[in-house]
Amino acid sequence: MKTGLMKKRFTRFVQYLLLTIGALGVVFPILYAIGLSLMSAGEASSYPPHMIPHHLKFTAFPAAMETAPLGRFMLNSFVVSLIVTVAQLITASLAAYAFAFLEFPLKKILFLLFLSTMMIPGESTIIPNYLTMRSLGWIDTFRGLTVPFMATAFGTFLLRQYFLTLPKELFDAARIDGCGRFRFLWSIVLPMARPALGTLGVYAFITTWNQYLWPLLMTNSTSMRTVQIGIGMLQFQDATTWNVVMAGVVIILLPSLLTIVLGQKQLVKGLTTGAVKG
Amino acid sequence: MLFSKRISKRMFPKFLVALLVLGLLVAGCGTAANDTSKPSAAGPVTVTFWHSMGGQPAKTLTAMVEKFNGSHSDIQIKLVYQGSYDDAFNKLKASPDQGPDLFQVYDIGTRYMIDAGLAAPMQDFIDRDKFDMSPIEPHVINYYKVGDKLYSMPFNSSMPVLYYNKDLFKAAGLDPAKAPSTFAEVEADAKALTKKVGDKTVYGFSQAIYGWFFEQYMARDGALYANNGNGRDAAATEALVNSPAGVEILTWWKKLIDEGYATNLGRKTADTQNAFGAQQIAMTIDSSGILPNLTTAAAGKFEIGIAPLPRGNNEVNSGPIIGGGSLWILKNKPKAQQEAAWKVVKWFLEPAQVATWTVGTGYLPINKAAVDQEAYKDFIKKYPSYQAAIDQLHNTPENRITQGARIGVFTQARATIENAIEQVVLNKATAKAALDDAAKKITDSIKEYNQTMGVK
Repeated sequence: MKTGLMKKRFTRFVQYLLLTIGALGVVFPILYAIGLSLMSAGEASSYPPHMIPHHLKFTAFPAAMETAPLGRFMLNSFVVSLIVTVAQLITASLAAYAFAFLEFPLKKILFLLFLSTMMIPGESTIIPNYLTMRSLGWIDTFRGLTVPFMATAFGTFLLRQYFLTLPKELFDAARIDGCGRFRFLWSIVLPMARPALGTLGVYAFITTWNQYLWPLLMTNSTSMRTVQIGIGMLQFQDATTWNVVMAGVVIILLPSLLTIVLGQKQLVKGLTTGAVKG
Repeated sequence: MLFSKRISKRMFPKFLVALLVLGLLVAGCGTAANDTSKPSAAGPVTVTFWHSMGGQPAKTLTAMVEKFNGSHSDIQIKLVYQGSYDDAFNKLKASPDQGPDLFQVYDIGTRYMIDAGLAAPMQDFIDRDKFDMSPIEPHVINYYKVGDKLYSMPFNSSMPVLYYNKDLFKAAGLDPAKAPSTFAEVEADAKALTKKVGDKTVYGFSQAIYGWFFEQYMARDGALYANNGNGRDAAATEALVNSPAGVEILTWWKKLIDEGYATNLGRKTADTQNAFGAQQIAMTIDSSGILPNLTTAAAGKFEIGIAPLPRGNNEVNSGPIIGGGSLWILKNKPKAQQEAAWKVVKWFLEPAQVATWTVGTGYLPINKAAVDQEAYKDFIKKYPSYQAAIDQLHNTPENRITQGARIGVFTQARATIENAIEQVVLNKATAKAALDDAAKKITDSIKEYNQTMGVK
């Protein structure tokens, strides 16, 4: 008995140790970025490099805010990311519902066609998309930044696979009770699909937040620009002051971190609710 | 039971409608913002100015534009950052009709801008207004001239210089007032400066694997980069990078590393700058424009010296080429915009503005009168070694070599050269073989460019 307990404890200790090492590896870039952002320019370029600032300096933050209007950029990125996220959740859940619960001709072929669009690299569609947006006169607008990303093959796929795991009995029971399709989707499927919706939401938000090339192409005024371009503005090809760049990175990292924290709560909540119960 | 909670059946359509309205509202805001940015017929002319300045230069430029807008009621500059030079250049290529009125292009984009027919030549405005160009540094102007015609106005101009750590020079028993001026002297000094301290080595020298440096060494050694007078007498058809001068440069580059007096820190100049600031290397080659940055890194630790770019072992009167960027007025814009853009260009050339620009960024003062400005006098007092960069600018003779090559595929050429340098440094090819290969590749892309662009 006792050796069994010891063995169990030891296994757990090893597990935690490995997990801690893994977690440190993952979180290291963020910690280093925070460390650099709190250094002076001189300390940031010292050798051997300092992980933790020896003298706390907060000058990099005002310097970053002064070089690029990060506040405005964050607001823009937030609005754009939020619209894209909400739109993707709506379009993807509707499409996934059709692919998962409805029967219609050519369903399989349509679904495969849908999936095949995931194989097209984003870079190759940038210029055609840009020309379309230009002919619509949507350059430099929120429409141009959001509409092209409102539908998602990956999201549809993700939600469809999740919807397929829901018991068919639910659908039948709801039909017998006289529940319409929309209501079934809204009142039963979506609440039960929270983990998948949460995952898609976080993914959509962060992908949009991290966009660089598309917003750079689409926008022509500083007031429409997004955060990643702001980080570009902090860098300069001839000389880069890393403490200022990292200060900018830390500032724009906060909303993404918040999204993950909030999304994670949803994920956990979603995992613990819902089952085949009356 | 199941359906009693959350949004009821009847509320769901309302929710959809609310979302739709929200979407339309957002779309509406976008339109409004777009419309206000267009100039009205009665108000001031708006000059859209695309630039690629980041960090400190961006800050200086923004402040200057604010000053301009505050003092001009008829013209307002709309300053827009468009990413790196390459990003901005590609964006213009994708849709020239959506371009700006005033465009900052890097040095090596000159040929393409002309061949693509995008430019309203600066010379036309200069000739019409009989604008006096004599105060402007001739070496800077010559780079942007094609024949006798100036196509764009130099803006941010720099030259490569040798930076050295005076304190490490003293510690190694070298004269801090005497910087090496030839490859052999760099080697000798680097040998004296290389020291093992504990388990880490302080190297005498390091330079980033950057194609621009190679071009500069070629020019300093009096060698052409491309045929037909660097592509300036007629369109270039052949790259000459595998000439003896080119081979000498790479042989020396590799020898320093093999002997252990120099270290290879890769392609990013930011990395050699950091190493220099952290006193890991005693000498480096970099743009004259980064002095303020280096000074910040060196503050309180050591004194920086600046010297002209070292030359190869055969004595020749030559000098480096101008690098940086220039301002272009675009041809496809209405007359009123072009005229307004020209006024903006003239304003940036005024001594006061040039001095502000140099002081704020470290770029060369391209107007000779700028050195009489108080701001510049304070600057040179603070960084006396900067004078070496100015002297180098003035001492460089004017000819096809120092004017720099003008080819349409410079971006690719630079990448090809960087690959060649890497191969040599990493012992994968000899200097001669790597450069022969690079010359062939560049020649091929020049030919292809000439064919597709219809250049004869």
